[in-house]
Amino acid sequence: MQNLASHEDWKSCFSEVAPGLLLFARQWVQSAADAEDIVQEAFVKFWRRNHKIENRALLYAAVRSIALDFIRRDSRRARREATALGETDEFIEPQFEFEDDTQRALAEAIDVLPCEQREVLVMKIWNELTFAEIGGALGISQNTAASRYRYALAALRNTLQLK
Amino acid sequence: MNDFFEIENELRKLRPAQPSPILFERIEEALAEHYWMSAAVDPRWSWPRPPWRTPYNWSLGLATAAVLVLFAAVNMERHQERGEKIAESSSASEIRPVLPGSRGENGTARSSFSDKFVPAGATRLVYNTRDEGLQFAPTSGQPLRRLHYQTHETWQWRNPTTGASLRVSYPSEEVVLIPVSGQ
Repeated sequence: MQNLASHEDWKSCFSEVAPGLLLFARQWVQSAADAEDIVQEAFVKFWRRNHKIENRALLYAAVRSIALDFIRRDSRRARREATALGETDEFIEPQFEFEDDTQRALAEAIDVLPCEQREVLVMKIWNELTFAEIGGALGISQNTAASRYRYALAALRNTLQLK
Repeated sequence: MNDFFEIENELRKLRPAQPSPILFERIEEALAEHYWMSAAVDPRWSWPRPPWRTPYNWSLGLATAAVLVLFAAVNMERHQERGEKIAESSSASEIRPVLPGSRGENGTARSSFSDKFVPAGATRLVYNTRDEGLQFAPTSGQPLRRLHYQTHETWQWRNPTTGASLRVSYPSEEVVLIPVSGQ
């Protein structure tokens, strides 16, 4: 087990998990900058407490909890922004780096998944967590996590076939 | 799960957006800030550890307990000397308000409670702890670990009648010898 209690380790650990963590945080906030704030707070908290990076469920639970707090704290600002966005052309920073239209369509299909399916999908595909870890982070059973994942994949497949 | 093999592959080809380079700098700053705060307590720490894992946590607790005992002792002493003047500042008007019908012999206003200061707080900030290694006392064969603390102590008294307060701060050093038992 890797111990995180050294100064330089955090960079290599963070480089590895950062894109997946940011994507996970983006499930709750539309702005990439807000997602980075959330990830920063969660990672710093996680690192300070000297947790092991293998305990990823805890890291994702921290991101989720901070993101939910952020939404609550920022609800007033979010409402103002939503109103402003409604009046202008809406621009949401992309969560993925697209290579072609198929990937763009897939990303759009992910966006419309129910939140509980999308978060499981993100944790499984881009963060490579096991269903047990996902269950631990979200406070659900392993079977529930697996079934949400299957529903998400089925929904994506149907959406892409229809297109 | 094989039914979804194809869609899973497609999903894995999608690359999440990369974090901005400034995020690394921000995290580095946040971690460094915490590091320096911890280093002020013990410069030997390579990285902050949770309080329950620090080797000096228990001795810090002992030191705090000692201060509390001292505080309690001073407090009891103050109660026993009720009615006597305990502390007095040069600014007499600040701690001795004029009360009607309570004039002293020399004509100055005096209250039976106005000049009483009671302890209001004590803090002991340990800003450096140095482990000076093991040593053997001449009278005992048991090894002792020598810990050197540099602290800053602050004592506060308050006059409940006038609201005046007195604060004394001073740096101090303490060497603690702790018996080490081997197994």
